[in-house]
Amino acid sequence: MSDAIRHKLTPLEKSERRLGFAMLAPAFLLLAAVVLYPIAELIRNSFHFNHLAQPWMGTPFVGFENYVKALGDDRFHEAVWHTVLYILVTVPGAVVVGLGLALLANKPFAIKWPVRLGLLLPWALPLVFAGLIFRWFFEYNQGVANAILRGLGFEPLNWLTTPSLAFFAICLAIIWKSSSFVALVLLAGLQTIPKSFYEAAEVDGATKWQQFREITLPMLRPAIFVALIFRTITAIQTFDIPYAMTNGGPGNSTETLAMYIHKTTVDFLDLGYGSALAVLMFIVSALITSIYLRHTRRDPGRH
Amino acid sequence: MTLLKNRRAMVILAGLIVAANGFFPAVWILFTSFKTEVELMKVPITIIPQAPTIENYIRVFVDQPILRFLFNSVVVATLSTLLCVVCSALAAYALVRLRLPGAGIILSVLLAIAMFPLISMMVPLFQVMRDLGLLNTWWALIFPHAVLSMPVCTLVLISFFQDIPRDLENAAMIDGCTRLGALWHVVIPLTAPGVFTAGILAFVNSWDEFLLALTLSPRVASRTLPVGITLYQGEFSFPWPIISAALIVAIVPICIVIAIFQERVVSGLTSGGMKG
Repeated sequence: MSDAIRHKLTPLEKSERRLGFAMLAPAFLLLAAVVLYPIAELIRNSFHFNHLAQPWMGTPFVGFENYVKALGDDRFHEAVWHTVLYILVTVPGAVVVGLGLALLANKPFAIKWPVRLGLLLPWALPLVFAGLIFRWFFEYNQGVANAILRGLGFEPLNWLTTPSLAFFAICLAIIWKSSSFVALVLLAGLQTIPKSFYEAAEVDGATKWQQFREITLPMLRPAIFVALIFRTITAIQTFDIPYAMTNGGPGNSTETLAMYIHKTTVDFLDLGYGSALAVLMFIVSALITSIYLRHTRRDPGRH
Repeated sequence: MTLLKNRRAMVILAGLIVAANGFFPAVWILFTSFKTEVELMKVPITIIPQAPTIENYIRVFVDQPILRFLFNSVVVATLSTLLCVVCSALAAYALVRLRLPGAGIILSVLLAIAMFPLISMMVPLFQVMRDLGLLNTWWALIFPHAVLSMPVCTLVLISFFQDIPRDLENAAMIDGCTRLGALWHVVIPLTAPGVFTAGILAFVNSWDEFLLALTLSPRVASRTLPVGITLYQGEFSFPWPIISAALIVAIVPICIVIAIFQERVVSGLTSGGMKG
């Protein structure tokens, strides 16, 4: 409804409009209470000194001091770098594994339920459970990983106490857990591809690989995009799995940004600095969200 | 026809890989939960427990109030799902049907706000809930969890509502239904798979959520399952058989739920709900 055709609204249209805004109200009230007001508080906190362990200092306004501190804070830089590494490894990793699972799950099975449940289980499992289970897998004495190494005649490894191995183990756990949701999204995409495309390709003598490259991948592009964005938005917030597996260790070699914010505020009780870090985090995630929204912007009332 | 047989074998193999990938960790934990500490110390490790014991399961219920954790999780997940689906459905319907000016922009704003990382709002949310006296109550988690799933629920419901022809509601309204009556009596029943998909997504998101549950309900009695499970570890010890048993106790309810609804979950997710 553009401004060019500015016609007088009929009473019916007017009341529809009023009803429409009334129906949006609950969602926006909830968002205001749970997101907008806390964000305002967060931004206010980030410009103040607020350390619960030093209550005698009060909460004076300090301008950009907390942000300047972040610029020179090595642990913050490392946490950002680790988070970026997790994103770079686990997002494509989950999409590739998820695509594989989706292709495998899209076959005509005689008995469907084990496949379906196998696809759903990692998705329904809380992240922190996945973290605990994989921590158990990578345990030095009794873990499966070292049992396999011993069985093959290799020396067992200190998986969770060696920085690079701990990072690898955490990535594996994240990919296992998140590829399940990706697979469900991609399976949805696969099922929208008409069978006739493949039959036509078959007639033309295309190999399976050619069919995959020329039909499946291009047709899946939108679904892959949705999966990538949803995965990236959650990967920025990576917390549960490294928390359960290593709690950021050894040292802070596997600590993510979310974990550092949590430690700064909950363990070190530095609300002011923690808030500044959190503001920096949501600026990054807002940038990524905006890329997503630009791609999906459409008018839901017109179709 | 070896070719046909080969193809059959390939299909079965594909299914086995997907099932094994999903089930293996849970099965491994199940085996561990029946082992004794002594058996766990053995190298090389055993796979099937050699002297199965239910001692670990007894400890699970004695050491921590796990049924309380379970109850908290069920209440929080159920109420936050209801809240999320009601808010999302009303908003989605208004955006799809009621010819609002700038519906596309309103949707973008809604998604943008709801997609803010809740992790970064941990501290202010803690302060807000403390000021409202809601810390350690279910409500401290219900409201944020409802927001957590709002983007995906709204998108799913919009895509389902768009497929309902306007004429059906118009007919109902000529018969004397109000707008909301038409939504409740005509649109919702017809889009039941979509509403169900939205609901299950919201339920699982809330069931999984850890960080807010850790921060906003510090008292043991108000812990949800994911947080409660971490309480089984001692300061220096990690009693794996007991933690495994606790994990099994915690996994079983959600397994039953998805086993009952598996067909609807997958078909709901795949019937165009996630077309982005």
